[in-house]
Amino acid sequence: MDVGVRAAVAIPGHGPAPRRPRIGVVKFASCDGCQLTILDLEDDLLEIAERFEIVEFAEATSRRSSGPFDVLLVEGSISTPEQVVEIARLRAEARRLVVIGACATAGGIQALRTAAEHEAFREAVYPVPAYVDSLATAHPVADYVQVDAELRGCPIDPRQLLELLTSLSVGRRPQLPDQAVCLECKRRGIPCVVVVDGQPCLGPVTRTGCGAICPAFRRGCYGCFGPREAANTAGLVAAFGAARPGVDQLGMSAVDIGRLFAGFTGAAPAFRSVTVSLGGRPPMPLRPTLASPPETLVDGPPAWGPVDASPAHPTESED
Amino acid sequence: MGHGGDLRFQVENLTRVEGEGSLHLRVRDGVVEEAHLEIFEAPRYFEALVVGRTPDEVIDIVARICGICPVAYQMSAVHAFESLFEVEVHPQVAALRRLLYCGEWIESHALHVYLLHAPDFLGYPSAVELARDHRDLVAGGLRLKKAGNQLLSILGGRPIHPVSVKVGGFSRMPRRSELVALRPSLEEALELALATVEVTAGLDTPSFDRVPRLVSMKHPTEYPLNHGRIVSSDGVDLALSDWGRAFQEVQVPWSNALQARAKDGYPYLLGPSARISLAGDQLHPIAREALARSGALESIRTNPYRSIVARAVELVHATAEALDIVDAYERPARPATPVTPRSGVAAWATEAPRGLLFHRYVVGEDGKVAAATIVPPTSQNQAAIEADLAAFAPRILDLPIGEATHRLEQLIRSYDPCISCATHFLDLRVDRSP
Amino acid sequence: MVIDDRLFLPRERLDDFIASLANGGRRVVGPTLDDGAIVMADIERADDLPAGWTLESAPGRVALSRLPDGLGSRRAFQYPVTGDGIKQITFPSRVDSLTVETTPEGGTAVRVVAQAEAEPVAILGARACDLAALAVHDRVLIEGPATDPDYASRRKDLLVIGVECAVAGSTCFCATMGTGPEVTTGADLVLSELDDGFVVRSTTVAGERLVTGLGLTPAKPEVVSQADGQVAATRAAMGEGAIPDRARELLLANLEHPRWDAIAERCVSCANCTLVCPTCFCTGQVVRSGMDGRASTSVRTWDSCFTEGFAQVAGGNFRSRPRDRYRQWLTHKFGTWWDQFGTSGCVGCGRCIAWCPVGIDVRQELTALANSSVPLPDTLPAAQSVERSRAAGAAAHAPVGPDTIQLDFVEATVTEVRPETADTTTLRLTTTDPGLLRGLPGQFVMVAVPAFAIPPISISRFHPDGLELTIRSAGAATSFLTRLRPGATLGLRGPLGRPWPLHDAEGRDVVIVGGGIGLAPLRPVIDAIIRDRDRFADVRLYIGARTPRDRLFVEEIDALAIRDDLIVRVTVDRAGPEWLGRVGIVTQLFSSVVGTGADATAFICGPERMMGATADTLGDLGIPPEHMWLTLERRMECGVGLCGHCQMGSRFVCRDGPVFSVAELGSKLQIEGL
Repeated sequence: MDVGVRAAVAIPGHGPAPRRPRIGVVKFASCDGCQLTILDLEDDLLEIAERFEIVEFAEATSRRSSGPFDVLLVEGSISTPEQVVEIARLRAEARRLVVIGACATAGGIQALRTAAEHEAFREAVYPVPAYVDSLATAHPVADYVQVDAELRGCPIDPRQLLELLTSLSVGRRPQLPDQAVCLECKRRGIPCVVVVDGQPCLGPVTRTGCGAICPAFRRGCYGCFGPREAANTAGLVAAFGAARPGVDQLGMSAVDIGRLFAGFTGAAPAFRSVTVSLGGRPPMPLRPTLASPPETLVDGPPAWGPVDASPAHPTESED
Repeated sequence: MGHGGDLRFQVENLTRVEGEGSLHLRVRDGVVEEAHLEIFEAPRYFEALVVGRTPDEVIDIVARICGICPVAYQMSAVHAFESLFEVEVHPQVAALRRLLYCGEWIESHALHVYLLHAPDFLGYPSAVELARDHRDLVAGGLRLKKAGNQLLSILGGRPIHPVSVKVGGFSRMPRRSELVALRPSLEEALELALATVEVTAGLDTPSFDRVPRLVSMKHPTEYPLNHGRIVSSDGVDLALSDWGRAFQEVQVPWSNALQARAKDGYPYLLGPSARISLAGDQLHPIAREALARSGALESIRTNPYRSIVARAVELVHATAEALDIVDAYERPARPATPVTPRSGVAAWATEAPRGLLFHRYVVGEDGKVAAATIVPPTSQNQAAIEADLAAFAPRILDLPIGEATHRLEQLIRSYDPCISCATHFLDLRVDRSP
Repeated sequence: MVIDDRLFLPRERLDDFIASLANGGRRVVGPTLDDGAIVMADIERADDLPAGWTLESAPGRVALSRLPDGLGSRRAFQYPVTGDGIKQITFPSRVDSLTVETTPEGGTAVRVVAQAEAEPVAILGARACDLAALAVHDRVLIEGPATDPDYASRRKDLLVIGVECAVAGSTCFCATMGTGPEVTTGADLVLSELDDGFVVRSTTVAGERLVTGLGLTPAKPEVVSQADGQVAATRAAMGEGAIPDRARELLLANLEHPRWDAIAERCVSCANCTLVCPTCFCTGQVVRSGMDGRASTSVRTWDSCFTEGFAQVAGGNFRSRPRDRYRQWLTHKFGTWWDQFGTSGCVGCGRCIAWCPVGIDVRQELTALANSSVPLPDTLPAAQSVERSRAAGAAAHAPVGPDTIQLDFVEATVTEVRPETADTTTLRLTTTDPGLLRGLPGQFVMVAVPAFAIPPISISRFHPDGLELTIRSAGAATSFLTRLRPGATLGLRGPLGRPWPLHDAEGRDVVIVGGGIGLAPLRPVIDAIIRDRDRFADVRLYIGARTPRDRLFVEEIDALAIRDDLIVRVTVDRAGPEWLGRVGIVTQLFSSVVGTGADATAFICGPERMMGATADTLGDLGIPPEHMWLTLERRMECGVGLCGHCQMGSRFVCRDGPVFSVAELGSKLQIEGL
């Protein structure tokens, strides 16, 4: 990513700051958690709103804009044909396009579905699948358009988000290290869970940025920030697959190790190749399972029904 | 009548709701012919994605259904598995799970009250503009929200998709000192929550009264979160695992999401208003008192716009209960009870901020999930929203179209619909025309 | 002073002892049990210690267990090293090191911050290896030429209670490294834990004062001998010879050994070994600023040579492969540390073995290397400590940096901005700082403005009232600097580094070769030669640039070209028809022009590959390697030899360079990833 939108450092002769950058926030297939992270910057939210003109952020404002944007934050994976068209349109409207979160950067967990599974599933549900508005799998945004920067994570880290916005505001490069989670884990003085518990941990192959949350809660990292630079997945797989004296949990089966890598960034090439080489992740079912078979109602709008106690209702569990 | 003949309200992209949806309402000669809340979240197939996974993996995966209420998904899942595996968790584990849920309620309710819903009542497009004129109000709301997020962070590492919940307990439980450190922010949050009740109770709301069918959980000694039974205003009283005996999922052609209805086909209402109406006697005494002072109990039940007051009352409850849990906390020797997985059906419901969230899993002999059903609150409330839209629309036909549309949007927002949650297994857009 | 009269602290009085450590408001830090490990944390009483626990360590494995029932079951120090040692206390993973502010007048003010008022700390339970490592850190971080102010402040008044190990882990090898298990340095008091209390030995006045205050009675002779026997048994359990002899020579002779590839397959470059190592001291600067960018703080943060970014500069990465990084760590720790600091970088604590998630054991790796080593020459140069070369600086006709380097930043004001090329700008700065004005050709400064990283920039001209910096826009900070306007003020640290040895060229022919931005640090050399032209024989200047538009200082060079007392040749890599000059690489220029080389001194600066080719060609023309000087570029975060980023073999490029002779570098330019 090039230097930011403007340089606001007040050094004489540097000239006054230009207009506030127009920022937009949009989403594709996702849980909304990454854009919620913006609203979770409680201490800084009002200043952000002063420094940036928030012109599009459907979760937070009724103001709408279809562009142009100085900065566009994009959450979610590309999962439908309409979204393919829309992301191309947005790219053309955005001076800088920043993808945020595991869905936008790696496809998210929904990207683990394969084309074959999708097809089988769709046909099982719809007798006449004349038009199904869904791509075979979910894609990271970069599969379709050029992206200028990315915030990793499921969800993104609020400090990294603030760093991005600050760097955009000041006009410098955001400091988003690409090294392993382990560095942050050791800086925090957290005992390594592989070493003390024999728990498998993806920290050595996962990009830092979360603050080493999982080891801090005494569990292994599940890789939600995706692969780090030069991730030696083969070395880690070998170590987890080998039994270690005095350790119960390592000596894992290939399938178990493969599932470990098939997480929220499991579609990232460096992780997917591990899962595939170890026998793949568990297959998705071909049939939906519902609490009860769905009925189709085609009447007019629903109306409120009777509200008084009715003896017809089941009141006891049969089990 | 202001508008003769056909009238079509159309809001293509609902704002200030979580996820993506749109509203279509067709009115002919004063009669509502169609009231459709369309949901067009791209399908993500969670019920398929959890198949073949271990229960602990499922807890992490289902959180990703919703970034606004991930704890709710973790809670329904973890309790479902623990009920199947007959795990007895430590009392402090149970308490901390309530505390975790309180954190999410505080975060989610404060978000909705201050950032999403209040601008409607006060005539602003967003909290940013609202803050220009009422900075203290919004800043207070943000501090309240932050108190919830801090709770989530201490217990689970981060507010969104926390990492510590596992079958049997937690991967790590905090030291007492870590929790006690939260007391000042929680005390301030309680004051802010009490003020929120006053402010919201005083808001001018459109007059719209109806008598909805209400459904929530109920427990004899605690305000419903993780335990109790499913009850309704029309007499349902079921174990949490038996949701399917009184309710069913139906498919409507105008929405990608499945809707849930009562077995008789009628809609029902979940969420803060339902909980307060059905289980209000178990509110924390401070919240009960605030509710009484507000005089809003009856209108919370009958006027959907008053749900903002219900949320405020629950903010009081969640902060007050959080303080109680913090004060009584002692770190147990072990953060989790050992678990012996077994096969069978694991089903449970908990009270998400938006209402009852039902999970049902089939666990196979290999200890992995073989099938899953997840019924989120918004898909259950969708029919209720549409029923309200149909009932309310005739009253606003005389308003200018922009104003009328705004009123309808505001009505939808009063349900705090979380559309990314409503994305269900069957969320595929189908064009059935030949 | 060692006081031989040992005292006895009964176990029941451990609480009193800890309370006495806290006297005067000291924070007391000691071992505690947390999350499956024994780690150092604040303690208040004996109950906070992990009494009754021990731990086993193995490669990739640390396991807590209960002590068996019996008299010793109440022991609180019955384990070898703690997980984290004492590094976090004296050298925390994150401390604020600099603040850069916009002054009310709009200038830049830079302040070096240390822990403001050193918080008094007492450490209970430091082991011999921890204290040997503390001595290493003292050497690296305090004893110059630059001092880390935060470390110095924490180190002052530190009260240390050492404990002699009663057990050794399978990963311990302090006996081999000569650092333990007996505590011989760094402690004020040394404890030996027995079943019902502690034998106490005070080794400093502060320690003596402590025990006097407690009114302890002398330890009985049989108790003293029990304590001595215990530590002797620990030593015996460890044994010696854990690593091969002559590890330094072994490593330096085997830089291209296939074992490095084998390690790289297993090593996941997680960096745990470096961060748990009690002597590793590399740090990076993380800049934090508010959204207005008017003020920022540089946070000194633990870094590691195992990360890809560690040796990254704008143009590329000096250690792109994991094998380069592992080799860097091991050769530094066991080898070139001797050259730099006169000691081993390893103290034998074994943390890098126990906390390696894939269980790599440095002892095994060194042994494997020894078993398949090339024959070690008897005459491999002995460790040449930097101190010694510094002392011998004059004799070696190689100027060295100053004995002490100040970390302060001084203010300089931009008075003129001259665009040189599309991406390069020269800033003319004025300053009143006498230190800056005394700078020498080849030296550089670290340049600070709020909210940006602090890059090293070489000085491209000296003036009586200031200096010039020629800056190519390569990153955000340099890009910002090239966009400054007259009136802006900057913070400068410097002048830093070893200058060009102009005296080496006196009376000799001079060959100056500059490629691209590399001409900037050579410009003061040209200035100096022109000023004292008579002191030099033939002077030839060869300049290369990518295209005609990328040439620096064009008018100046053109003016030099018409002088009759020096030869100037310019070439570009590629050009359009408008360029009538030479096209080609710079080495093609002088092969035909330069005379006999034996009497020549060369000054070379440009991309590393160009410098290598130039040195080869000039060497072929007869210029001796000790008369060829070039300046290296490495990543620098501090510029004063504290951050570790620019380490290359036995040298820090910032402090011991950036100017080196080809003789000094030897084959290092040819070895990839060093």
